[in-house]
Amino acid sequence: MTLPELERSVGGASTPAPAPAEDVEVSLESLGQWQLAWRRFKLHKLAMIGLGIFAFMIVLAIIGPFIDPFNPLFIPNAKHPGGDGPSLQHIFGTDNVGRDVLAMVINGARISISIGMFSMLIAGVVGVVIGAVAGYAGGIVDNILMRIVDVFFAIPFLFVILVAARFFGQGELIPLILIFGLLSWPLIARLVLALFLSLREADFVEAARAVGVSDARITFRHILPSALGPVIVAMTLTMAGNIVLEAFVSYLNFGLSADQTSWGNALSNAQTVLSQGNWWWAFFPGMAIALTVLAINFVGDGLRDALDPRSRL
Amino acid sequence: MTKFIVRRVLQAIPVIWLITVVSFLLMQQAPGGPQGAFNQNPHITPEQVNAWLARWCLERNPDVVGTIREYFGWLGVWNCQGGGGFFSAQGLPNFLPAFLGGGTNGVIHGDFGFSIFSGQPVVDMILQRLPATMILMLTAWLLWVTIATLTGVLAAVKRYSIWDQIITIFSYVFFSLPTFWLGLILIFIFGVELRWLPAQGIVNVRAAPAPFGTDAYWKAFGAHPLPNIIDIGSHLVLPVLTLIAVSVAGDSRFVRSAMLETLSQDYVRTAKAKGLPGRSVVFRHAFRNALLPILTNIALEIAFLFSGAVATETVFSWPGMGQLFFQGVNQRDYFLLMGILLISSVFVVMMNIVADVLYVFVDPRIRYD
Repeated sequence: MTLPELERSVGGASTPAPAPAEDVEVSLESLGQWQLAWRRFKLHKLAMIGLGIFAFMIVLAIIGPFIDPFNPLFIPNAKHPGGDGPSLQHIFGTDNVGRDVLAMVINGARISISIGMFSMLIAGVVGVVIGAVAGYAGGIVDNILMRIVDVFFAIPFLFVILVAARFFGQGELIPLILIFGLLSWPLIARLVLALFLSLREADFVEAARAVGVSDARITFRHILPSALGPVIVAMTLTMAGNIVLEAFVSYLNFGLSADQTSWGNALSNAQTVLSQGNWWWAFFPGMAIALTVLAINFVGDGLRDALDPRSRL
Repeated sequence: MTKFIVRRVLQAIPVIWLITVVSFLLMQQAPGGPQGAFNQNPHITPEQVNAWLARWCLERNPDVVGTIREYFGWLGVWNCQGGGGFFSAQGLPNFLPAFLGGGTNGVIHGDFGFSIFSGQPVVDMILQRLPATMILMLTAWLLWVTIATLTGVLAAVKRYSIWDQIITIFSYVFFSLPTFWLGLILIFIFGVELRWLPAQGIVNVRAAPAPFGTDAYWKAFGAHPLPNIIDIGSHLVLPVLTLIAVSVAGDSRFVRSAMLETLSQDYVRTAKAKGLPGRSVVFRHAFRNALLPILTNIALEIAFLFSGAVATETVFSWPGMGQLFFQGVNQRDYFLLMGILLISSVFVVMMNIVADVLYVFVDPRIRYD
């Protein structure tokens, strides 16, 4: 039994699974598509490491601020200007006014990861809906939507993000999440459309059409689930990209206001003290970004292999 | 072929039109409107603001019709001087070129407006910044494409070898680094600690005959090209490294998978079976066929290069268009922002058409007619 057959047989949830035979391959039938994907994912070592790092970052984002003794905005002593290197008390050192860099990294995880996650979800929903509508409707609707996508691809993305964050971001979290989410869907929309165009010709769609399934049901129940794998991978890329972008926008002081700590905000004045040999202020928040993005990219790679229906266990 | 080029250009027109709408709306919707930039300036009277608005066919609080009128005025289709409407002073349609009796206002007549802050025409400001950006982008682009292709091909040909693994690890790590942060770290290592390379600017301001980009500078450059080229070159190293590290990492993976795809084809096995030397198999059979997806990728990432230039130029104080854009956002210099947005996007659209046309020369199987 080949995997596509296997998946089709497990895809219809209403049909009772055939009686299990002794054969090992057939006993897989009791596993759902997602269980199979998880099995394949577990075999990908780097992806599991990435998942571990990412989970650690999320735990840090949730409970970190409660364990950490320092407030990232606390300026301890006006007489002591700060700018100390890593020490036992401040293991990541302090910035030029004495704020603890470790506290910035821990508190920054909260805001940076939530911007990445929520903007990814918005971009995913908008991208899938627009791509699916274009693929389903075709013709003039498809043409108009894809010209809009073309515009997004032609305008240098960072230019638009900078202008939008400066003019409409107001230094607040929610507007920034909306800006990042609503500007990063075109990649996903184009991907969904491309998948639709190829899946529309697939045998199982033809079979569904032959038995009289409605177009809307074919779009959302038959084609969309098959297109989900590449879309999830693209969404992880979007998330990683948006975390980096937010850091850059906040580094330039166009993002969050100074009383909120994201990784980018933590970096925003670090360049001014680099020439005095103060490397830790710039180094550690940036490492946190790099590590998180690396972890997300590993997870994305694992998902790409795990969700590809052609790959076998 | 001609037919194909014409069709691609025609398809690009609605895209470029939408880009003008997007960049106009960005300015129009900005808080306080374009005249908001004058709010902080006590030397500018309301009368002066009104005169300024009238000069650019703008209105103080436009309704929907007013906004559309503003847009047409900015575009150059509408002539707001003397109530001309769609017609120029000569009584001909305003969108015609000036020498055919059209108007002189608006983007389609090359009038991108003036910077609110410096008072210079936007076109002049962009042209003055263009050489620095072009030096940075072209150097980065050439190196990026070369290194990504070579490492990608090497990783694919020697699949699973130690080279493949080293290249893979490096591309994973560099692909995850934020461009601007990598710039900061490079500045610290090579500019501050080791003092090997200059960390800021495009020329040594103490040694340079005049500020970069001015006429006096180019005159001195012409008189003594070599020391000036060395000066720019030494300033170029760190920004270029920063700019290409991330892109090379991503593209190297891409070239690797494109090469692996073609290396597994039957015709490659046939070529090997015929006893062709390895080099010929790799470059004449496999690589030529892998070029198509690689070219697509390179063309699409030109927009990415513009974005990367903003990050690099702000970190390294490189006096190019990216830094100009950053200053424009900071100062809410609307005409400047729209000018840069529009010109760079049109450039990207044109490069995509060029890439499409190039395919035909790379891949004779593709016929567009």
